[in-house]
Amino acid sequence: MTYESAAQRALDTAAARGAQYADVRFERDRSENIEVRNGRVATLSDDESIGYGIRAFYEGAWGFAASPDTSDRGIDQTAARAVEIAKAGSAIARERFGEAPSEAYVDRYATPMEEDPRSVPLAERVGLLLDAERLLHVAPRIRVGRAWMDLWRKESEFYSSIGSRIAQETAQSGSGIEALAVDGGDAQDRTWPGDNGLYQGGGYEIIRKAALRENAQRIGEEAVALLSAPQCPQGTMDVVLGGSQVSLQIHESCGHPAELDRVMGWEANFSGTSFLEIDQLDRLQYGSPLVTIVVDNTLPLGFATCGYDDEGAKSVRSDIIREGVLRGYLMSRDTARRIGRATNACVRAESWMHVPMIRMCNLNLLPGATPFEQLFEGIKHGIYMESNRSWSIDDRRLNFQFGCQIGWEIVDGKRTRMVKNPTYGGMTPRFWNSCDAVADANSWEAWGTPNCGKGEPMQTGRTSQCAAPARFRDIEVGVGYAG
Amino acid sequence: MQVSEREALARRVLNLSPAPATEVCVFDDDSALTRFTHNSIHQNVAQRNLTVRIRAVDGKRQGVASCDALDEPGLRRTAERALEIARLSPEDAEMSPLAGGGTFTTPQGAFVSATAQAGAQRRADVTETIFAQMEGHNQWGAGFVTTASSGVTLATSAGLLASYDATDAGINVKANAGNSTGFAEQHVRDQRALDGRAVAGRAAEKARLGSDPQAVDVGDWTVIIEPAAFGELLSYLAQHFSAQSYVDGSSFLSDGLDRTYAGDNVTIRDDYAHPEVLGMPFDFEGSLTRPVTLIDRGVGRHVVTDAYYAARLGVANTGHALPAPNAYGPQPRTLILEPGTKSREELIAQTKRGLLITRFWYIRPVDQRQTIVTGMTRDGTFLIENGRIAGGVRNMRFNQSILGVLRACEPARELMRTGGYAYQCVVPAVKVERFHFSSGTEF
Repeated sequence: MTYESAAQRALDTAAARGAQYADVRFERDRSENIEVRNGRVATLSDDESIGYGIRAFYEGAWGFAASPDTSDRGIDQTAARAVEIAKAGSAIARERFGEAPSEAYVDRYATPMEEDPRSVPLAERVGLLLDAERLLHVAPRIRVGRAWMDLWRKESEFYSSIGSRIAQETAQSGSGIEALAVDGGDAQDRTWPGDNGLYQGGGYEIIRKAALRENAQRIGEEAVALLSAPQCPQGTMDVVLGGSQVSLQIHESCGHPAELDRVMGWEANFSGTSFLEIDQLDRLQYGSPLVTIVVDNTLPLGFATCGYDDEGAKSVRSDIIREGVLRGYLMSRDTARRIGRATNACVRAESWMHVPMIRMCNLNLLPGATPFEQLFEGIKHGIYMESNRSWSIDDRRLNFQFGCQIGWEIVDGKRTRMVKNPTYGGMTPRFWNSCDAVADANSWEAWGTPNCGKGEPMQTGRTSQCAAPARFRDIEVGVGYAG
Repeated sequence: MQVSEREALARRVLNLSPAPATEVCVFDDDSALTRFTHNSIHQNVAQRNLTVRIRAVDGKRQGVASCDALDEPGLRRTAERALEIARLSPEDAEMSPLAGGGTFTTPQGAFVSATAQAGAQRRADVTETIFAQMEGHNQWGAGFVTTASSGVTLATSAGLLASYDATDAGINVKANAGNSTGFAEQHVRDQRALDGRAVAGRAAEKARLGSDPQAVDVGDWTVIIEPAAFGELLSYLAQHFSAQSYVDGSSFLSDGLDRTYAGDNVTIRDDYAHPEVLGMPFDFEGSLTRPVTLIDRGVGRHVVTDAYYAARLGVANTGHALPAPNAYGPQPRTLILEPGTKSREELIAQTKRGLLITRFWYIRPVDQRQTIVTGMTRDGTFLIENGRIAGGVRNMRFNQSILGVLRACEPARELMRTGGYAYQCVVPAVKVERFHFSSGTEF
């Protein structure tokens, strides 16, 4: 697709209406979704959306307008609307939030892909899900089996009034299975891989990697076994978290508080603010020295990997936490400038229709040196937990409580009996400072999160947190069922 | 897009579809939102979209494709893709036939042209009144002013043609006063009713009252939960009222209907025609949506259905289908809790020692079947002593069964429509005994 002439029209109209800077992002989103539920193909859809969003800058204020109407008239109206909005905001501004970008890029990017999903017949894709879902039903107590697959592809073109011309083709794929076992008043859920499935940047190779058929029977059996498993004990004890749960922990207790728009109060009324205030930069001992977390939007397989973000800034890798100390934030151009830094290209929009804003992108806990099985050594009594079931954290991202689908008691360094309903809670810096082992690169995985909510109007972001299992000492366990 | 244009578009799609049977759904949305913080606008957006969703049916096979193209080649390509998917799909024994004709009456007042026509300047004017109020209180506000209009047209080759148009407008204000915050909101169909000054004033007063918040002990408390918070809490019960959850065994109602689950002062309904709702009178299968009493004076009476689950359960269809096919089953639209007889103020005055809660945050299920959820308080939590607000309280985490709340609650008499991140509800404030807090914060 090329929208060069339409883009030029949008930029010209915005300039004629008074915009001091403008950019326009054309996108063609293609989304294929298949879901099998209890032997039935419950969803089989192919959605295409084409449209554009225009940002206009006027006297320190931004306006944004979006439309699918690519006619000359539609583009003129949308560009004019963006400028009108910017002017209305500027007229009552007490503070100027925006500043026009000054760097421009002319470039192309495409997600590396081993196997184009379009080369895999639909019947084969549906067949995989039907097979995997059927294998979940190991007993009548499996009341619900689900298997799903998402294939997403986006072609985008970004043009700015200062000369950027960026074309990108990104591909993301994901799939998973779920078994719900019910017995009397108890319902137990198991999913694979992780809690959402495996979502990464790439093609059909990501679907094959998830190994749904190979794991379905085990997942069904675990869901049934949980019904008769003992309740997770309560108390202060050591905890080992599986990789996908560490990913969730990073997402909620590091990623969101490190979003600089939150720190600056831009999300105060909804997503909240952050305890990682500017005066903590380079000072706060966020975690133990084993904790190094980087944002890396260039990472192969990263769910949020791309060449440029949605305000046309080039993807980079930068530190957020280095050896336990807060070193940076997830930033846009506007917010980075306010703390004297350059953006690290963490701006995304859900679609052409949505205004770009700071999102988590790929936020990675670097692997440690401990083989996974050795994480249990030295634990007298603790719990190993896998796959998130419940997640909640306060609006400054300090007090958290998470629950997992399944746990195993650790006794004298050995993983022993299965326990159900494991939950744990704590305060963010105290928790990360209790981390005394991170598993090595052999168990490090890019865990994509396809449904991160933020912003108003609400946008669903696609983030990823690369993580390996990790060990934490003296954690409050069983908090969800205490009292 | 006018309803007549939307219906013409739907007819055009039916005519060009190559499938033996076709359903088309046209969604038209035009929304704008002005967002502010530190008493200044930092995000100001308008988004317009029109989506055409085509379901092609060939015998017992179906396929869905959608696009936002309006030109004939684009629509034809999408219709062909839907049929191609249908022909590659396995047969679906549960598929309901496409709906035929029907007459539906949209509740009066759902669509207000003054809201649909409101522009950036109107939102700026309302925002300015909020800023003025905040500055008058020496506080800063964060929030939004929004206006939106949306339309849906559902048509089938079997003769159905149904449309619904609605508008929404809202204000959301979080007031910030040093070490305390306060929250207030307003959601209406007619933007001319937006009152930035009043909403901001309520939020500012909350923030003022909550200054220098003190820590209190965790444990069981008597609480008065205001509508914004209670609506969010109640929304996590919505899934339980789906016939699919009931059949699956993941709903608390799976223990059986006609059993007592809540106090005899608790009645929960779903009613699209309620004056605070004014919702769509049909569902996405083209069935008439019926008011449903879900819990009647504490007794679980009904779940909401679509055609498939109505047939499976042998009950009348309540008309709560989502666009077919889907994995979610029928869903309630808006939960309405019947009001009580006392005012919010009377509930506070009759509380010897308790907490007043303005807003909850990040509620998530801990145990779906037991209806246990966890979450945090935010933006205005107060200690009540001897019937009066005694001061602000630091935020706390709760772990609480929602059914436990409904067994020990007294609803106030003033109903309010809440926005809510998860779901829309119409609820009063409620007073609840033994609400369990498990941990605290330093703020």
